[in-house]
Amino acid sequence: MADDTNTSANGRTVYHANRHAHPVKVAAAGVDVSYGDKQALHGVTLDIPDRAVTAFIGPSGCGKSTFLRCINRMNDTIETARVSGSITIDGEEVNDRGVDPVILRARVGMVFQKPNPFPKSIYDNVAYGPRIHGLSNSRDELDSIVENSLKKAGLWAEVSDRLHTPGTALSGGQQQRLVIARAIAVNPEVILMDEPCSALDPIATAKIEELIDELRENYCLIIVTHSMAQAARVSQMTAFFHLGHLVEYGPTEEIFTNPTDRRTQDYITGRFG
Amino acid sequence: MQLSLFTALALLVLTAAGFLLGRRRALAAGQGRAAGLHSLPDYYGYYVAMWTGAPALVLLALYGLFGGMLVNTLALAELERSAEPLGARYESVLEIDPAHAGLRAERDQAEAGRLAAREYADAMFTQHGAESPQMAEAMTDVDGWIAEGERVEAELETRESQLLSQILGAAPDSPQGLAARAGLEYAQLPIERRQLFISDIRALAFGEGMASRDTAELRAAAAVFQPYETTIKWTVCLLAFSIAVIGLARAWRRVAPGFRARNRVEGAISFLLMLSSAIAILTTLGIVMSLLFEAIRFFAAIDWRVHEFLFGTQWSPQIAIRADQIGQSGAFGAVPLFVGTGLITLIAMAVAVPVGLFAAIYLSEYASPGVRAWAKPVLEILAGIPTVVYGFFALLTVGPFLRDFAMLLGYEDAVTQSALSAGLVMGVMIIPFVSSLSDDVINAVPQTLRDGAYAMGATKSEAVRQVVLPAALPGIVGAVLLAVSRAVGETMIVVMAAGQAANLTANPLESVTTITVQIVTLLTGDQEFNSAKTLSAFALGLVLFVMTLMLNIVALRVVQKYREKYD
Ligand SMILES: Nc1ncnc2c1ncn2[C@@H]1O[C@H](COP(=O)(O)OP(=O)(O)OP(=O)(O)O)[C@@H](O)[C@H]1O
Ligand SMILES: [Mg+2]
Repeated sequence: MADDTNTSANGRTVYHANRHAHPVKVAAAGVDVSYGDKQALHGVTLDIPDRAVTAFIGPSGCGKSTFLRCINRMNDTIETARVSGSITIDGEEVNDRGVDPVILRARVGMVFQKPNPFPKSIYDNVAYGPRIHGLSNSRDELDSIVENSLKKAGLWAEVSDRLHTPGTALSGGQQQRLVIARAIAVNPEVILMDEPCSALDPIATAKIEELIDELRENYCLIIVTHSMAQAARVSQMTAFFHLGHLVEYGPTEEIFTNPTDRRTQDYITGRFG
Repeated sequence: MQLSLFTALALLVLTAAGFLLGRRRALAAGQGRAAGLHSLPDYYGYYVAMWTGAPALVLLALYGLFGGMLVNTLALAELERSAEPLGARYESVLEIDPAHAGLRAERDQAEAGRLAAREYADAMFTQHGAESPQMAEAMTDVDGWIAEGERVEAELETRESQLLSQILGAAPDSPQGLAARAGLEYAQLPIERRQLFISDIRALAFGEGMASRDTAELRAAAAVFQPYETTIKWTVCLLAFSIAVIGLARAWRRVAPGFRARNRVEGAISFLLMLSSAIAILTTLGIVMSLLFEAIRFFAAIDWRVHEFLFGTQWSPQIAIRADQIGQSGAFGAVPLFVGTGLITLIAMAVAVPVGLFAAIYLSEYASPGVRAWAKPVLEILAGIPTVVYGFFALLTVGPFLRDFAMLLGYEDAVTQSALSAGLVMGVMIIPFVSSLSDDVINAVPQTLRDGAYAMGATKSEAVRQVVLPAALPGIVGAVLLAVSRAVGETMIVVMAAGQAANLTANPLESVTTITVQIVTLLTGDQEFNSAKTLSAFALGLVLFVMTLMLNIVALRVVQKYREKYD
């Protein structure tokens, strides 16, 4: 074991290719999800490290989004969805009756494929989370939360002079960074991103990737992507899903250079998917 | 009838033939393959068919619209020509008839008497006021002269019709004589009775409906009409047929591999679409214009005191019925109507907006698909209930209940027909209107916005209040404004439930009346069409139109200003 091993709540650690050990942040065991009669995930088990980026890859419809939505219980909003198995964050069971999904979602932020700023000003978009969760006691405090979040999201320089114009008037790439700023404003522990760059051009994509790399220092990031290159660039761990099964999971370098499963190899070399 | 049917059938066959011929020629030109042609073979077929059918159809349509009028004009001109000698005789008889001359003198006398009495009454009005006994006496005098004038006028009419029938009786019973008599009768008819005369002739000549009477004169006139009708019909049918054949031939000759039939057909389609919208726009414009002209006639009738109409506080159009009445000013002050309309609309909106909006939110955000599946149609049934049924409900159930309730609370002057009962029931009527429009708007808010709010840890009601409703707001405002114009224009409920008294009040427990109700009362029943009283209905209609127009403009502005772009 490496020297900087931290013991996480459930006592496990995850290694990635740098031989750095990271405490486990999110742990899933035997997660099944079905929509009505149709089972979308079959017994997914994996440990996701803290302060690192974990990428989910796999062909369309294989259940990446479904699994991501289990982590902040967004599947609760879908009438037909049934989730079973265990998911823990810092050892705490997410699916427990006692866990309020509203509080959970303040700890687990989420960014969607299409930028979805609220029909409010830039400021109010970022201040939304702190306001509903009562995170600030004064106007000044709120101002500084907004400013810091926008700075962390790399948007401050572009919008500091028009905080009170509608968030929907920004460009697609700016909107996506605004949504990231909105997510980090409540100071979450985990940030889920479902194909955050698929609606963006290469320059905006590069900016978001840079941002993800910076956020890695403080957060546990999980990102779904269809771009092999993006997974290779930004992630430390990669999980490959296929037809609702987790096929292979390991340090990104190993998955990309030396996959053990035939299906993984076929997918990353572009033979299907 | 059979002839036009036959022509229409022939045109149809010809058009189909045009299609087939155009297609065949195109295929032949492309050596049986579509690849060498500019357009698909069918387009050449459509092109030829278009030129075969369309111009002929236009001609037939024009005939349908104006053919009858043309026949009437030509035939009536002939009738009047043949009646000219009779007419001259009648004029000279009127001149020399001593009884008629006497009556004419009496009429002039009555008119002079009326004018003098009226002048005197005006003087009494300024000296002693409207309520004085002198004034009453003077008015009785005026009324006497008016009655006298009316009597003389009636006697004149009787004498004239006596003389006319003498002249008519003297004419020979030959077809020409009978036709001349019909012509004279027509020429002597007042304008408003001519239409009936014409439709009687047409009924006898062509079997169009039932004639109100059947005389030898009318039959002779019908015989004059018939040849015109036949000639014109045949001409038009032959013309339509030849136009179709010529169009077919010309279009067919143009078919060649390089000919852009597809673009031509496209052009024809866009022309058709444009024509349809032009018809809609022109009709609207026509209605507005007629409203405007009648309103102008009204303002002319009240000596252009437009400000009195718009800002006057007394509405009692009945006073001005007789031209000689003094003190008619102020009778056309429409403010009580505006206030009544506003009051009822306000009450209706106070019911419909919250209930409709909350129902829409429940249906689109909270209800399970099962509940939604039956609740939404049931709500929409409310919109299908005829307004007269609502009016009934307001008059027989809600009105008495509110009256008794108000009395119970110690308000002694409560009445059954009140602004409150009309407003409440109208609000109920508008609920499905608001809820169904808002429901559409709320459903159009993208799911990603809701997901975004939930992912931030918002509860359902927070997501609805803070994210979904703001996103849907422009549409909701639009829906509410549409509902307002619906309420402003609603008539039946108010007629039945709010009463007709033009009270100027803000008390919802009193009777009020609205613009629409007054339009109905002014125009129903026997009315002369150029009294100020009747014309005022058009001015009210104009105000109503301007009001709803403004509402719609504001609604559009709001929607544009706050529109969020989701794609
Ligand atoms: N709301 C839903 N109702 C029913 N079935 C669903 C729903 N959402 C997802 N599914 C099904 O679950 C399976 C997994 O879907 P999921 O969205 O997780 O795929 P994905 O890997 O994210 O695909 P993509 O890369 O295209 O986003 C699919 O077969 C999909 O049809
Ligand atoms: Mg997905």
